[in-house]
Amino acid sequence: MSTLSNGPFPSARSPSRRTTFLVIAGIAVAIYILAPFCWLLLTSFMHEHDALTVPTQWIPRHPTLEHYRMFFHPTGTSAIVGGRAAEEMLPGMVNSLIAALGTAAVNLVLGTLAGYSLARLKFRGQGALLGLYLGSRMVPGIALIVPLYLVMKDLGMLDHLSALIVTYVTFTLPFTIWLLKNYFQTIPRSLEEAALMDGCSWVQMLVKVLLPVAMPGLVSSAMFAFMTAWNDYLFAVILTSTTASKTLPVVVAGFATDVTTQRTLMATGGVLAIVPPLALAFLFQRLIVQGLTSGAVKD
Amino acid sequence: MRTSLSLSSATSSARGKRVGYDRRAFAWLLNTPALIAIVLLSAFPIVWSAWLSLHRYNLQRPKAFRFVGLSNYGDILQSPEFWSALRITVVYTALVVVLVVVLGILIALLLNREFPGRSLVRALVLLPWAIPPVVNGLMWQWIYDAKVGALNGLLVSLGLIDQYRGWLSTPTSALLALVFSEVWSLLPLAVILLLAALQRIPSDLYEAGRLDGAGRFQLFRYITLPWLSQSLLVVLILQTMSALRAFDVIYVLTAGGPGTATTTLTWQTYLTTFDNLDFGHGNAYAWLVSLITLGLALAYFRVLYGRGDFEA
Repeated sequence: MSTLSNGPFPSARSPSRRTTFLVIAGIAVAIYILAPFCWLLLTSFMHEHDALTVPTQWIPRHPTLEHYRMFFHPTGTSAIVGGRAAEEMLPGMVNSLIAALGTAAVNLVLGTLAGYSLARLKFRGQGALLGLYLGSRMVPGIALIVPLYLVMKDLGMLDHLSALIVTYVTFTLPFTIWLLKNYFQTIPRSLEEAALMDGCSWVQMLVKVLLPVAMPGLVSSAMFAFMTAWNDYLFAVILTSTTASKTLPVVVAGFATDVTTQRTLMATGGVLAIVPPLALAFLFQRLIVQGLTSGAVKD
Repeated sequence: MRTSLSLSSATSSARGKRVGYDRRAFAWLLNTPALIAIVLLSAFPIVWSAWLSLHRYNLQRPKAFRFVGLSNYGDILQSPEFWSALRITVVYTALVVVLVVVLGILIALLLNREFPGRSLVRALVLLPWAIPPVVNGLMWQWIYDAKVGALNGLLVSLGLIDQYRGWLSTPTSALLALVFSEVWSLLPLAVILLLAALQRIPSDLYEAGRLDGAGRFQLFRYITLPWLSQSLLVVLILQTMSALRAFDVIYVLTAGGPGTATTTLTWQTYLTTFDNLDFGHGNAYAWLVSLITLGLALAYFRVLYGRGDFEA
């Protein structure tokens, strides 16, 4: 967007002074974003007594990987305070990954079908349907928690990952449908028509022609679904109880609210919980921004 | 394949009666899985919750389950806890939304200009988005710590305060601490959406404005702001909803305290339901939260529809 680089500001100051100002502002933003996270990261490499010094020790004087080792080889560490939480960490991470990936996958399938119908087919009840989808999103999670718990209990799904996946799907689907509908509408109809003329079935057309073009929309809605599932605490803490389905936020909150847990161990748990979503966010950064901006905000 | 047939007729201009029927059936068929999920796990529970809110239902005395009409709502509206929680929710939400919008616009304006290192800062801004709220709470709890926290360490070494303080133990500072941690985590989405809107503003508008002798502020007021308005409303809706629902970060950081200084309506709902095990009043609280959220959402949508830039 180089043509816009001068933005709304006339060049009253000399270009070099302006650049200096912008760079300083950029550094300020970077520090604001990075500092809290860096402190967590640095703490995870400290020994507990170094982390508790006054005045604050900013750079670990005796850096250690002890806490990370503890999470990956938890056996024999149960004697240490917080050892039990450390044992739950890896299963928690696996559970979180299954729940988040499952949510994203189901979202894509259901969201594509519904989003396509709303974008391309004119039918009666269309407006009401979209209203129902978006309206269901307005209900805060806290209002659904008791009935959901009772439903899952009746279905015998408590402490199963499937309960979490269906719950997260219901919460993320409205946004996925809305985003994909808007994204499909930015794609010219002629593409589909040509494919159908050439004798493709509807499913072939969808898989081979439409979906590849809609990739940014698909990636950003999958990413949103993944993040929602990965981040959720409220439903996970109510619907899960053992390592069979406990997700990472439940494990982390478990030792975050336990005053006896070592600070450094907490920090390490926090860092580990961030790694997967962070990796995905940076990996797909371009596609996410692209999909979000043409899907969620129409021109 | 029947489906392919109905679609090709739907996309072509043919509009026979039979074709119209097929297209409608096909459209509903495509929506069936999503509808089942949402009706079963969203619509049904919310109706059930409304039903429970009309009953006396406390898990500590499960046998005393009986219909009481609207009296749970009456109890809540007469209790000081509700009004205190409502006041705190309003203050908290307003502070979070205003700060996110103002900071979001400033950062988006900055990232829309060209300067060395811009792409790095653009990537970094996404970071808080990838941090789960529970971890966000844990991170800030550690920063705000009264005895060894980094905030205390930083402010003392800069000479801004004389001694360490318990940031989470006085009502005002605890609420502000909560607001700052929430703002930090909500900022990325606002920046992405606003930056995308900024990039769509044609640059010749600014040139024309400048030729007409408009100053910086006027250019912002009469060109940038109107072009941003739709995205701003989307940001407002999303952030208001997130702030109203804030739960995890309160759970980890303040647990509603000190006293009730950070007890928002969501937290009060949680306490009533899971601490007191009072499902009747808990569900009534949940419904009040839903109604407030819905009211705000409708107000925002009215503004969007009223402006004519929003099309369902």
